Amino acid sequence: MITSEDIKSYIEAALLCELVRIEGDDGHHFNATIVSAEFRGQSTVQQHQLVYRALGDKMKQEIHALSIKTLTPEQWLGKNF
Amino acid sequence: MNTQDLIKQQITTHSVVLYMKGTPESPQCGFSAHAIKILNACGVNNLFTIDVLANPEIRQGIKEYSNWPTVPQIYINGNFIGGSDIATEMYENGELQELLQK
Repeated sequence: MITSEDIKSYIEAALLCELVRIEGDDGHHFNATIVSAEFRGQSTVQQHQLVYRALGDKMKQEIHALSIKTLTPEQWLGKNF
Repeated sequence: MNTQDLIKQQITTHSVVLYMKGTPESPQCGFSAHAIKILNACGVNNLFTIDVLANPEIRQGIKEYSNWPTVPQIYINGNFIGGSDIATEMYENGELQELLQK
C-alpha cells in the first residue's frame, strides 16, 4: 500500500521543491501541497502536469485520488496554509 | 472515427464538456460530484457530460488527449481547463465564471 511518505519521495525525486506536504493515511486518498520554483510562469494546469509527470505510472495504478495544490515560493510566502 | 478524433469532436461541438465517472444525477466519484456542483454553481445549463465508466476507450483516450491522468476533466470552448481542484480554485477566484461567460 502506498503511503504519503512514498508520494512525497516520488515528487521530490523528480521536482525541485521547497516544500512537499502530503496528507492522507488510508492508502488511497491524499492531499498534496507543493511549493516549487519550477512552477514559476506556468499555468495551474501545467503545474499539476509537472506533479503528475513526477508520479508517472504510480498515478495510473496505485494512487486512487490525489488532490493537488501547487504554489510558487512567492505565492507560498504570501499565503498561510 | 478514432477515439482522439471523437474527443476532439465532442469538445468542439459543445461549449462546456465534462468527462466524469457516472452521470450528473448519479456521480460515481467524489471528484466528479464536486465538478458537477461547481459547474452548477456557475449557472451552466448546457453541460455535456460523458460517463467514462460506460466508455472505456474514452476513459483511456481522454488521459492521452490532455496528458492528464485523472477524471473528471472539464473542457470549455474546446480547451482543457483542468480537474476538480483547478475548477475549485478558478471558481473561488472568479476565473471560471468569467471563462463561462465568453
